[in-house]
Amino acid sequence: MARIEIPRFEFVARFARNRGALVGAVLIFLVALTAVLAPVLFPTDPLRIVGAPELWPGEDPDFPLGTDSLGRDILSMIVHGARATLLIGLCASAVATLIGVTIGAIAGYFGGWVDEIVMRTAELFQTIPNLIFVLTIVVILGSTLANIVIAIGIVSWTSIARMTRAEFLALRDREFVQACRAMGMGNGGIILGEILPNALPPVIVLSSLVVAGAILFESAVSFLGLGDPNVASWGRLVGDGRQLIRSSWYICAIPGVAIMVTVLCLNLIGDGLNDALNPKLRDR
Amino acid sequence: MAAVAAGSRGRAALRLLRRRLIQAVPLMLGVVVINFCLIQLAPGSFLDLMTAENQVSDPATIELLRKTYGLDDPVWLQLVKYIWALMQFDFGFSYRQNMPVIQAISVHLPATLLLMVSSITLALAVGVAAGVVASVKVRTVWDSLVSIAAMFFFAAPSFWLGIMLIVLFSVKLGWLPVGGMATIGGVGGGVAGVLDILHHLILPTLALGLFYAAIYARVMRSSMLEVAQLDFVRTARAKGLSRNRVTVSHVLRNALLPVVTILGVQMGTVLAGSVVIESVFSWPGIGSLLFDSVSSRNYPVVLGIMVLGSLVVIAANIAVDLVYMWLDPRIEIR
Amino acid sequence: MTLPLEVTDLSTTLFTRRGEMKAVDGLSLAVDAGETVALVGESGCGKSLSALSIMRLLPDPPARIVGGAVALNGRDLVTLPEEVMLAIRGKEIGMIFQDPMSSLNPVTTVEKQIAEVLMAHGELGRGQARARVHELLELVGMPDAARRLDAYPHQLSGGMCQRVMIAMAIACSPSVLIADEPTTALDVTVQAQVLALLKRLQADAGMAMIFITHDLGVVAETADRVVVMYAGRKVEEASVDALFETPLHPYTVGLIGATPVPGAARADRLADIPGMVPPLNALPQGCAFAPRCARVMERCRHERPALTRPAPDRLVACFAVEQG
Repeated sequence: MARIEIPRFEFVARFARNRGALVGAVLIFLVALTAVLAPVLFPTDPLRIVGAPELWPGEDPDFPLGTDSLGRDILSMIVHGARATLLIGLCASAVATLIGVTIGAIAGYFGGWVDEIVMRTAELFQTIPNLIFVLTIVVILGSTLANIVIAIGIVSWTSIARMTRAEFLALRDREFVQACRAMGMGNGGIILGEILPNALPPVIVLSSLVVAGAILFESAVSFLGLGDPNVASWGRLVGDGRQLIRSSWYICAIPGVAIMVTVLCLNLIGDGLNDALNPKLRDR
Repeated sequence: MAAVAAGSRGRAALRLLRRRLIQAVPLMLGVVVINFCLIQLAPGSFLDLMTAENQVSDPATIELLRKTYGLDDPVWLQLVKYIWALMQFDFGFSYRQNMPVIQAISVHLPATLLLMVSSITLALAVGVAAGVVASVKVRTVWDSLVSIAAMFFFAAPSFWLGIMLIVLFSVKLGWLPVGGMATIGGVGGGVAGVLDILHHLILPTLALGLFYAAIYARVMRSSMLEVAQLDFVRTARAKGLSRNRVTVSHVLRNALLPVVTILGVQMGTVLAGSVVIESVFSWPGIGSLLFDSVSSRNYPVVLGIMVLGSLVVIAANIAVDLVYMWLDPRIEIR
Repeated sequence: MTLPLEVTDLSTTLFTRRGEMKAVDGLSLAVDAGETVALVGESGCGKSLSALSIMRLLPDPPARIVGGAVALNGRDLVTLPEEVMLAIRGKEIGMIFQDPMSSLNPVTTVEKQIAEVLMAHGELGRGQARARVHELLELVGMPDAARRLDAYPHQLSGGMCQRVMIAMAIACSPSVLIADEPTTALDVTVQAQVLALLKRLQADAGMAMIFITHDLGVVAETADRVVVMYAGRKVEEASVDALFETPLHPYTVGLIGATPVPGAARADRLADIPGMVPPLNALPQGCAFAPRCARVMERCRHERPALTRPAPDRLVACFAVEQG
C-alpha cells in the first residue's frame, strides 16, 4: 500500500508544542476517565435523593457542587452525565463520519454525474435547518438514544463528505493510484486500500470537530426535553435547572460549564491537529 | 460610463437571481421528498399522524382527510398529491390552533425573522470588528483577548448562554426583561412599542449572535492576515497610503469574502438555533410553535415548519449570494 | 549637484527564528536623472529586497534596515519617520511590481486605484481625478482608455494591468521609478511594448530608473549601467556596453553565457553556472560565489573579496580578477 508518509514523531511533537491543544487533550482525557469510572466514583444512582434540596456549591462538604431542587448530588449527576454526553457525541460523530466518508469517497472517486448528485444532496441537507430536522426525526421516530444519534449523524455528515471528496479529487490521479489501476486493481480496492488511508488524516481532524458539534446538538435536544428520558445528559440537567434560575442558578450553570469545557477542549484538539497537519498555515 | 457599468452589474445580478431561483426548485423538491419519507417512516398510518393528539373522532372529518391525502392511493401517487398540495401552499389543517397550518406558521414567522436578522447583524458587526482588531494588532494582548473570547463563545451552548444572560441581566441586575417580545399589558404602539420590542430583543440576540460572532471573528482574523500578504496590498502601500488607510480601503473588503461565504452556508443553522433561543426566552416565533407542535405531536405543523424553514434558508442564501456578487466583481454568471 | 537617488552602504537583515540573515549587505548605487540602472542577479540575490528597502516597504518583522543611507534628492529616507515617508512614496518615488494581475486590487475599479494616488498626495480632488486618470491611461497607451476606467483588473489582460500599474507609479511625476521585474510575467510581444513605454516615459520626464531583472536580454535593451548582485552583495558594476563586451566577475560571465539570444525562449536555469544561490542562512565564509565559481582559488574560500576599481567607472569584487 502506498502511503504519503507524515513523520509520526514530528507530527506528535508539533501537536505537543501547541499548548492549547495539549491542555485540551489532557482535559478531555480526564473527562473521559471520569465518565468511564463513574460507577466506581459514584456507585449510587445519581438520580437518587441524597440530601437537602438546593444546597449551594460548597455549602455542604458532602456535595461539593451542591444539590438540585430535589436534593440530588450535582457532582454525581455531572460525572454520570459525562457518560451519556460523550457516548452520544462519539457515536453521532462516528455515524456522520461513516456517512460522510462513504458518500464523499464515491463522489470524489467517480466524479461526473455521481459527484453532481452527491453535492446537490449535501446542499439539500445544509438547506434544511439542522436542529429542526433533528427534532422532527426524533419526534416522529421516538426519543431513543439510537434515534438521536442517527438524527445528529444525518445532519452532520455534509462537511465530512465535502472534505473527503476534495481529498479524493486530489489523490485519484496521483501516480500510485494510476499504477494500481494499471495493475488491474478494482475500484473498491483502490478506494479502500490506496486512497482512503491517505485521505483520512484531515478527515479525522474534522470529525473531532464534529464530535464537538454533536455534543452541542445533543445538549440542545435534551435541553428542550426531547432527549431519551432514561438518560440524564448534561443538556437535560441544564433544562431541569431552568425553573430555578431565580433562587439557584448554579443548578443550570454547572452542567453548562461542563458542556462548554468539553466542547472547548475538543475544538482546541481539532485546531492543534489541524496545525500539526498543515504547519505552513501556522507559521504565518 | 459609470451608468453603463452599473447597468451591466444590475443585469448580472438579475441573471444570478434567475439561476438561483431555478436551482431552488429541485432543492425544495428534495426537502419535500425527505419530509414525505419521514412521514412514511413514522410508526402508524399517515392519517394517524395527521390526526394524532388532536382527538379528531368525527368520522366525517377523518373521511375528508382520507380523501384529501388520498390514503388509498399507491405511495408514489400520494407523494405527487402531497407535492401538489404544498405547491398551493396547502400544508394541512392544525386542529390545535384551529387554523390552516400555513396561517399558524405565518403568524409566528416574523418574530423569528426579526431574531435571525438582528442576530446575524450583531454577529457580523461584532465578529468583523473583533477580527479586524485582532489582525491589525496581531500577536498582542488584543489579539489574545479576541481569540480567547471567540473560543469561549464558540464552545458555549447558546441556550445555556441565554439562561446565564437572563440570570445576570434580568434576575440580578434587573436591566432587561426575562422573556417575551413585548411587555405584558403593552406600552402602546408607535415608537414606544418599537423600543419595547428592541428592549426584549437584546438578550435573545446576544445569546444567538455571539456564537456566530465568534466564528466570524476567527475567520475574519485569518482572512485579514492572509489578504494583508497579497501583492496588491504592497502596491497600495507603495502609493503612499498609510497602514490604516490600506487596511480599510483594500484589505477589509477582500477579507470579507470568506465571511460572507460562511454566512450563506450557516443560514439554516441560524434559523435552527433561533428555535432553541426562542424556547429559552419565550420568544413568540416559529420556535415556540415548533416546540408546542413537537410536544403535542402536531405533525402537520412540524413538517410545515421544516418546509417553510427551508424556503427561508433558500431565500436568505440568494440574498447572501447577491451581497457576495456586489462585493466581488469577479463573479461572472455563466 | 545631488543625484536623484544615491544609496550608500545599505544593509538589510532578516531576523527570523532560524537566525539573522543578511539579505542586503552594504549595497551602494547611484542613479542620475534620465539614467537607467539595472539591478541584475538570479532570484534570491536580494534585488527585490533592495528595492523594498529603498521604498521602506519591507515586511517588518522579519526584515529591518540595519545600516546605510538612501538619499532621495539629497534627503536620507532611512531615518525619516513613517508619516513623512507616506508623503514620499508614490509622490517622489514610484514603484512597479512583478506580477501586474495580482498587484492590483481585484475588487476595485481601475479608475479608483489610480485616482487614489492622486488624491493621497493632494494633487486633485475626487471631481477632477477622473479626467486626469483618463489622461494617464492614454499616456500609458491603454487601448480604449475611456472604457477601461470602470473596468476591474480581471477584465484586463496582463499587459493592460501592467499599464495601469505604470500609470499609478508615474501619476505624481516621481523623480525616481523602481521597476521590479516589470515584464517577467508578460508575453514576449507585450514585454517589448511595456519596455518601450517605460523608456518613452522616462525620457519624457527625465526620471531616474532602477530596473530589476534577471533577464540580461532586457538589460541590454534598457539599461545604461548595470549592477550585478549575488547573495545580497554587489559583485560588479559597469556601463552596459563594457559589461557585455568584457564581463569581469565569473558570475557575470556565467550570467551572460546563460542568456539566450534575444527573442528565443528564456532559460530559467543558468546552464553555465552549476549549483544554486546559497540560502542566506548558510552563506560560505569567504566569497559567497566560491562554491559555484569556475575560477575559484584557495583564498576565496575563507576571505571575502572587496570591491576594486579595475578601470574608471567600473567595480568588481573578485580575487581572480585582481590577479588578472
